[in-house]
Amino acid sequence: MNYSSETKSGLRAYLARSDPLRIGLMVSSLPLFIAGWWLLSIYLQGQNFYYLPTPLEVWNALVASWEWDPVTHQPLLANINASLGRFALGFVIAIVIAVPLGLLIGYSYLIDAFSKPIIEVLRPVPPIAWVPFLLLSLGLFWGPVITIFIGVFFPVLSNVIFGVRSVDPLLIDVAKTQGASNRQVFTKVIFPFSIPFIMAGLKIGVGIGWMCIVAAELFAAQGGGVGVLITAGQTIGRYDIMFAGMVVVGLLGIVTLTVSEYLEKRVKIWMGMM
Amino acid sequence: MDGHDVILSIKNLKKTFPKDDGAMVAIENFNLDVKNGDFVCILGPSGCGKTTLLRMVAGLEPLTSGSMKVKGEDIEGPGSDRGMVFQEFGLFPWRNVKKNVEFGLELKGIPSEKRAEISQKYVELVGLKGFERSYPKELSGGMKQRVGIARALANDPAVLLMDEPFGALDAQTRNQMQMELLRIWKETKKTVLFVTHSVDEAVFLADRIVVMTSRPGTVKNLWNIDLPRPRDRASSEFIALRKNILDELEVQKTGA
Repeated sequence: MNYSSETKSGLRAYLARSDPLRIGLMVSSLPLFIAGWWLLSIYLQGQNFYYLPTPLEVWNALVASWEWDPVTHQPLLANINASLGRFALGFVIAIVIAVPLGLLIGYSYLIDAFSKPIIEVLRPVPPIAWVPFLLLSLGLFWGPVITIFIGVFFPVLSNVIFGVRSVDPLLIDVAKTQGASNRQVFTKVIFPFSIPFIMAGLKIGVGIGWMCIVAAELFAAQGGGVGVLITAGQTIGRYDIMFAGMVVVGLLGIVTLTVSEYLEKRVKIWMGMM
Repeated sequence: MDGHDVILSIKNLKKTFPKDDGAMVAIENFNLDVKNGDFVCILGPSGCGKTTLLRMVAGLEPLTSGSMKVKGEDIEGPGSDRGMVFQEFGLFPWRNVKKNVEFGLELKGIPSEKRAEISQKYVELVGLKGFERSYPKELSGGMKQRVGIARALANDPAVLLMDEPFGALDAQTRNQMQMELLRIWKETKKTVLFVTHSVDEAVFLADRIVVMTSRPGTVKNLWNIDLPRPRDRASSEFIALRKNILDELEVQKTGA
């Protein structure tokens, strides 16, 4: 393989090293999927099975709910904003707590010894299992927010701890021979070394957090939300709106993941590691 | 040698490491005085404790008994009066060349203008002018070690400690770096303590060679190398010296 094609970035490089068959398969896969969905939904509706709308019906529901959505009684953007707002809030709280805590646990074996049993007991509980309790105790706004917090907290925490423990001992020796105090070893070596691990944790957190927000909203949420759209659509038998909600959830998931991947890459470039 | 001139003094040094069945003696009864401006190579079979010795001078390992003094003061932990160059370079990947060289100055809180002035001086000294903004991953092994040397020198240490600094380089780069090091040594007039297992490297570089015995490590012999620099590896004196020192090391290996 030619070296220069390796250094190109993004889609262009991906396409450049692809043969025509591969590009053809890539371009045709989604239209084929939609066509299959269409045929299946038409067939099922012919058998009096009405739960799967056609792609066109879903598209129409999307367009209609952009202005005013009949199940949540507000425009689609208001639902998206409600979900994204909760997502951002829960995410930020998780980072603000998990990053410093992870740095401390990774650095101090005493803090690790104390916190490990608690963390290991709580970690296996799926965030969604907390939803009923959180909604009852914290209400319809903070309940979903804290669900996201729980979902994002543990993967970020694990990554930060792993990052601190992965620090090359040679770099610590170097810092010490350069006259670094323990605090300086922490701020000038351990913390910067952990940043790429923190970013990787955030990326995992985005995926899980997005799952959590939708799951929490399926129970209930104040002020609507894309998850609410799905359950409400189901409740009143508007399956086209239910599917429109699923499509929006998927698209927003792609957007948030792309943003976090972009940020991770920027940070690596900024740190001279890419 | 009069005491005033001695910059590093090691007396009756002993180092043991804990082991399952008691203690492993790594270094015992080790004595060495290094004069200001001396280039001293420590040579010995692998496992003789030469790297441990250097790490103890750096303050990265505590001594078990005996004494180690730099400029008359006991060594208690690491400090910027002893600069260390590591075999695996140990550059901070997220810092460019300039920022790597400035690391120690940053720790001391020296203002950025002064830092830039000092780092520029050492970047130029090691021949990396024009690479100030490059990151370690963009540099070859030889260039990385030039950064390592500049970084150690930027703190203006009393002693430069070098732990097989060219061990990770290919033979050609290694020879080139040895000549560069001699040039830098002449310009900075630093005291150098250089650990190597290559007799050739030691004879090429050193004023004095300390040959260590295998474990427990102690001084077996001290060689004064009076050959004028630049030294010619092909000269009969060089070859003879190398052979004599090699023979001395061989005797140990066979246990005779």
